[in-house]
Amino acid sequence: MTDSSENIPVVKEPEQVHGLLAEYETPQQLISAARQVRDAGYSRWDSYSPFPVHGLDPAMGIRPTVLPWIVFVAGLCGGTFALFFQWWTSTTDYPWIVSGKPFFSIPANIPITFELTVLSAALTCFTSMLLLNRLPLPAHPLDRIRRFARVTDDRFFILIQASDPKFDARETAELLARTGPRGAVETVMEDTHSSATLPRGVVFGLLIVGSAAIVPFALTTLARVSTSTSTRFHIIPDMDWQQKFKAQRQNSFFADQRAMRLDVPGTVAQGELQDDDHYYHGKVNGSFAKTFPPQVEISDQTMARGQERFGIYCTPCHGDDGSGQGMVHLRAKSLMQGTWVPPADLRQDTLRYKSVGELFDGISRGVRNMPGYARQVDVADRWAIVLYLRALQHAQGARIEDIPESERKGLE
Amino acid sequence: MSHGEEAHLDDRITLDADGGALFRGFAIAGVAGLGGAALLGMSDTAKLQRAYLVAFMYVLSVALGALWFVAIQHLTNAKWSVAVRRVAEILASNMLLVAALSLGVVVPMLAGSSDLYVWLDRARVEQDHILHHKAAYLNIQFFMVRWFLYFGFWIWLGRRFFKLSVQQDKEGGAEISSSLQRISAPSMIVYALTLTFCAFDLIMSLDAMWYSTMFGVYYFAGCVLAGYSTLGLALMWVQSKGRLSQSVNEEHYHDIGKMMFAFIIFWAYVGFSQFMLIWYGDIPEETHWFHWRFEGDWKVVSGLLLGAHFVVPFFGLMSRHVKRNKRSLAFWAVWILAVHYLDLFWLVYPNGSGDVPFGAVDILCWIGVLGIFGAGAIWRAQKVNLIPTGDPRLADSLAFENV
Amino acid sequence: MAAVGDLQEWQRESGAADAPAEPKDYRAWQTESRGDNPFARITDTVIRIVETPKPPRAWYIALTISLCWVACFLVAVSHLVWNGIGIWGNNNPVGWAWDIVNFVFWVGIGHAGTLISAILFLLRQQWRTVINRAAEAMTIFAVICALMFPALHIGRPWLPYWMLPIPNQMDMWPQFRSPLDWDVFAVSTYFTVSLVFWFMGLVPDLASIRDRADTTGRRLIYGILALGWRGSARQWHRYERAYLILAALSTPLVLSVHSVVSFDFATAQLPGWHTTIFPPYFVAGAIFSGFAMVNTLLIPARQFFGLKGLIEMRHLEQMNKIILATGTMVGYSYAMEFFIAWYGASPYEQFTFINRAFGPYAWAYWTMVSCNVIFPQLFWFRKVRTNIAAMMVLCVLVNVGMWFERFVIIATSISRDFLPSAWGYYVPTKWDFITFLGTFGIFFTLFLLFCRFLPMIATAEVKAIHPAAHGH
Repeated sequence: MTDSSENIPVVKEPEQVHGLLAEYETPQQLISAARQVRDAGYSRWDSYSPFPVHGLDPAMGIRPTVLPWIVFVAGLCGGTFALFFQWWTSTTDYPWIVSGKPFFSIPANIPITFELTVLSAALTCFTSMLLLNRLPLPAHPLDRIRRFARVTDDRFFILIQASDPKFDARETAELLARTGPRGAVETVMEDTHSSATLPRGVVFGLLIVGSAAIVPFALTTLARVSTSTSTRFHIIPDMDWQQKFKAQRQNSFFADQRAMRLDVPGTVAQGELQDDDHYYHGKVNGSFAKTFPPQVEISDQTMARGQERFGIYCTPCHGDDGSGQGMVHLRAKSLMQGTWVPPADLRQDTLRYKSVGELFDGISRGVRNMPGYARQVDVADRWAIVLYLRALQHAQGARIEDIPESERKGLE
Repeated sequence: MSHGEEAHLDDRITLDADGGALFRGFAIAGVAGLGGAALLGMSDTAKLQRAYLVAFMYVLSVALGALWFVAIQHLTNAKWSVAVRRVAEILASNMLLVAALSLGVVVPMLAGSSDLYVWLDRARVEQDHILHHKAAYLNIQFFMVRWFLYFGFWIWLGRRFFKLSVQQDKEGGAEISSSLQRISAPSMIVYALTLTFCAFDLIMSLDAMWYSTMFGVYYFAGCVLAGYSTLGLALMWVQSKGRLSQSVNEEHYHDIGKMMFAFIIFWAYVGFSQFMLIWYGDIPEETHWFHWRFEGDWKVVSGLLLGAHFVVPFFGLMSRHVKRNKRSLAFWAVWILAVHYLDLFWLVYPNGSGDVPFGAVDILCWIGVLGIFGAGAIWRAQKVNLIPTGDPRLADSLAFENV
Repeated sequence: MAAVGDLQEWQRESGAADAPAEPKDYRAWQTESRGDNPFARITDTVIRIVETPKPPRAWYIALTISLCWVACFLVAVSHLVWNGIGIWGNNNPVGWAWDIVNFVFWVGIGHAGTLISAILFLLRQQWRTVINRAAEAMTIFAVICALMFPALHIGRPWLPYWMLPIPNQMDMWPQFRSPLDWDVFAVSTYFTVSLVFWFMGLVPDLASIRDRADTTGRRLIYGILALGWRGSARQWHRYERAYLILAALSTPLVLSVHSVVSFDFATAQLPGWHTTIFPPYFVAGAIFSGFAMVNTLLIPARQFFGLKGLIEMRHLEQMNKIILATGTMVGYSYAMEFFIAWYGASPYEQFTFINRAFGPYAWAYWTMVSCNVIFPQLFWFRKVRTNIAAMMVLCVLVNVGMWFERFVIIATSISRDFLPSAWGYYVPTKWDFITFLGTFGIFFTLFLLFCRFLPMIATAEVKAIHPAAHGH
C-alpha cells in the first residue's frame, strides 16, 4: 500500500472500475459530503438514500427537472383531443339528438374533457418519470456491493463514477475519505458477469407467447374483412332465439310441417264483417248505388266533415275547387314531367253524372293513376267526401237560378 | 426546527403612524365616493341601490374571507400562517364597520322600498302565489332578525379572534391558542349557515322566483378568493413600509398564492356545477336566471367572467415562480379582486332586459365602500403588532419552507 | 486485491465479518448491526409483516370468512348471468335500486385513499404518511367493487366495453353528452390514476423488500416490481416532483369523480335529484364514508400486525376529526336541500322531501339521519375520538348511514313518480343481499392479501418526516 490514508483502496485495473462508493450513517453527513463532492467539480456522480433527503438537491446542485413541462403539454393535448373527439363524433360522424341539446354542447362535454386531461397528464407524468430516471433498470454494478443493499433501509451512499472527467483513483478516493464515510471507501467494479442481452430461452419464450397473442386479433381482423355464409357465433344467445314460431318456419307438430296455419274456414275477424254492400262498397244488387246508404246522415255536419277531409286528401291534386289544378299538379307541370298524368277535373260532365256509388268506389279503389284511399280514409269519411264532392260539382256548375234570391243581389 | 434560528424577529412589527397617508387616502376616497354616488344617484335611486348592494357585498366578502381564513387556521392548528394571521385578523375584526355599511342596504328596505326586493312589495306578495308561499321567510321582520343574527355573530367572532390574539401578544402561552381552536370548530358551522342565508337573502332573493341549493357555496368561493387576495396585497403594502420585511417571505406568499389558485378552481367547479345542472335539467323556473345572463350585452359579461375569472388566472397562477414572486402575485391578486367585482355585478344586476347598466355610480359606490373599509382596517392596524408575537407557533411559521 | 482486503476490514469493523455469506442470515446480521437506528426500525416494523412465514391467526380466520363471501358472490353472479336481473328486486318504477346504491356506496368509500394521499399531501398534513398506503389500497379495492355493479346492472357483464369509444362496424359512438358516459370516464380515470399513484408510492418499499429478501422467489418478484429502484438522489428528485404533480392532478380528480356520479342524478328533472348542491355534497359524503372505512380497516390491522407504534392514536383521532367535519358538511347539505325544497315552492319537491321523512321509506331516512348527522356528533368529545371501541362502532355506523343515504336518494325519488298511478315500492330479494355482501368479501379478501404481501405503510415517507431525517 502506497497510500497515506488507510481508507483508500488501490485500483489495479482501472478500465474495469465503475466508481468509488462511500457510505454514511445519517442524512446530515450525506448532505455535507455531497456539498464537498459538488464543490470539487464532479459531474458524473450520485447520492443514494432510503428516502428523499430534504436539502440534498441544492447540496448536489441538481437542476429542476423538465417533468412539469412534459406533463403540462400532455394535459393540454389530452384535453384538446377529448374536446375535438367529442365534437367530431357528436356533430359529424354520429350526430344524434339527446334531451333537446345542441349536437355540440360544451357544458356536457366538460366532464370528459377534464377526465381525459387528467388521465393523459397522470399517465405521462408516471411514464416520463420512469423514462427520465432510466427505469426499469434490472442490473447495476452497485448490486454486487453487499452493504449497498441497505440503501433502501437506513444507509446513505455517494458514488463517483470512473467515467467522470475529473475522476482520478487517488484524488477521488481521498476526497471521499475526507467526507467522513462509515468504513472504507469501496471500489465498485463494472459488472462483467451479467449479460446485457436477455437469455436465449427467454427471448424464444417471449417470441412464442407474442406470436400466439397475435392469433386471436388476426382471426378477428380476418372475420371483419371477409364475408361468410354461416351464421355468427352465439356464445350468449341474447334474444336471438325465442320460444315462438315465426312466419315461414318449419314446425314438426303439424302434418304439413308448416308453422303458419290457415284460419279455420268461416273465421271472421272481429269488427270486419262488411256484409252491407251499399255502405261498404257503394253497390246495390251488383250495380253502383244511386243514393247514399241510410247510415250516412245528410247534414251540415257531414258536409263540413267531407269538406275537411276533401281538403286534406283531395286538394293536393284536384285543387280546392276540384278543377284538377292542385299544388302537386302545378309543381309537376312546372317541372315539365313528361310522365305526369294530370288529375281529373272533377267538374266535368262524365263525373257530374256518375252515381254516388261509383264516386265512392273511385275514392276507395282508385282510378287509373289515382291510388285507392280506403286505407287512409274510413268508410264514413269517404261517404262524407262524396257528399261534399256532389255539392262542389253542383256549386261549380251552378246557374244564377240555383242561388237563393236573397244572395243574388250581391253577385250582380 | 433549526431554520427558526436563521429567521428571527428583529423586524419592525408595528405600523405606528406610517399608515397615515394611506389611511387619509382611503378615508377621503370613502367619503368622496359615497358622497359622489349619493349625488349622482339621486335621480335614479333604484340604480343607486343596486350599485350600492354590489359594493356592499364586495366588502362583506373581503371581511368574510378574512374571517374564514383566521378561523380555518385556528381550526387546523396551522403553523405556516401564524406570521400572516394578524393582518387577516385585522381585516376580519372590521365587521362592525361592515355592519354599519350594510345600513345602506337595510335602511331603504325598512323604508319600504321594493326597488331591489320584490318580496317587500305587499301588493305583489298578496297576488303572487309563489311570493305568498315564501312570505313566511321573505318578510322584513324575519329578515331583520336574521340580519341581527348574521352581523351579531360575525362581529363577535371577528372581535374574539382579534382580541384574544392581541392579548396573547402580551401574555403569551398556548392556552389562548387552544381556546381559539376550540371555538373555531363550532363557529365554522354557524359561519357556514350565516354566510349561506345572507347570500340567499341579499342576492338570491333579488330574483325571488329563482333558487339554487349551491348558491351559498358559490358566494363563499368568492369570499375566500377576495379574502386571500386582500390579505396578500395588505401584506405587500405592510412590507413596502418596511414592516415584517423578514418575518413574511416568499414561502408565505407561495402558500397564499396556492390557495388563490385552488379557490380559482373551486369557484369554477361550483359555478360550472350550478350552471351545468340547471342548463341540463332545463326547468323554466331555474333557467330563466341564466337566460337573463345570456341575453343582450350580458352574454359578453358572462363570457368575460368565464375567461377572466377562471381561464386566464388558472394558467396565470399555475407556475410556482409566479406565486413566489411578490410582483406577479400582486398582479394576480389585483386581477382577482377586479373579477370578483365583475362576478358580484353579474349576480346582482341582470333583470331580463339585456342591458348592462354599468356606470359612474357603480364605481363611486365601490370606491366609497372600499375606502371606508380600508380606512377602518388601517386605523386598527396602527394600534397593534402586525404579527402575533405571543403565538407559540410563530417560530415554526417564520422558519417554514415549502417543499 | 487491496479493495477486497478493505472490504473485509470494513466488515470486521462493523462487526459483520462473522456473518456467514448465506442470504438466509443476512437479515439477522442486518438486525444486529443496525442498533437503534430509527430508519431501520421503521423498515423492519413494516417489511417484517411481508417476510414473516406465518401471519397472525386472525388473518387466516378473516381470510376464510372473506373467501366464503367471495364464493357466495360468484354464485350470485352466475345465477344473475344465467337468469337475468329479474332475480333482483328491481321493478318498475324502481329500475335503479341496490345495484346503483352499491355502486355509489363503493365509489364513495374509494375517495378516502386519494384524498389522504393527494389533498392532505398538498396541505402538508404529515400524519397522513402512516395511513396513506393502506388507504390508497382500500381505494383501489373499493373502486373494483364499485365497477362491478354497473357491469352487472346492465345485465350483460361481458359487454361494458360498448361504453368505450371503440371504432366498430356499426359506426356508432358512445353518447358523450350523457352523464352515464361521463361516469364511465370519471371512474375509470380515477381507478387508473389511483393505481398509478399507489404503485409509484410502492416502488421504494418494494425495493426494500427486494433488498432484504432471503428467498430467490421473493427477490425475483419484488425485484421486478421495484423496477430497479436504488434510491438515487437524481431519481428521487424527479420522483418527488412527479409525486407532487400526481397529487395536484388527483386533487381535482377526486373531487370530480363523485361530482360526476352526482351528475347522474342531478341532471335529471326528478324531484329530490335535481339539486345544484349535489356535487360538493356527494364529495363530502364520499370522504366521510371513506375515512370511516379506513378507520374500520386500520383499527384491526394495527392491532394484529403490531403497527401501533406507527399508526398511533393521534392519527386515528385526526381521522375522526375529519369524519366529524365532513359529516357536518353532509348535514349542511341536508339542511340546504330541505330549505330549498320549501323555498323553491315546487309542489313536487315539497312532496318528495316530506315523503322522505314521513313516507314509506321513513325508516331508511331516519337511519340515514341518525347515522350520518346525529351519532358522529359524539366525535366532538375527545374521549370518544380516542376510544377504540367507540370509534369502531361509530365508523361502522357512518358507513351504514352513507349506504342508506344513497338508498334514500334513489329509492324515495324514483318510487314516487309524478303520477300516483306509477308509484311503487322496492323490496330487495335475497340475491340483492348476497351480491352486496359478496362485494364485501372481495373487498376484504383483497385488503387482507394486501396486508400480507405488500408494505402496509409507506416507509420512505415515514422516514422522510422522522426527526432524524432533519435536525441538520
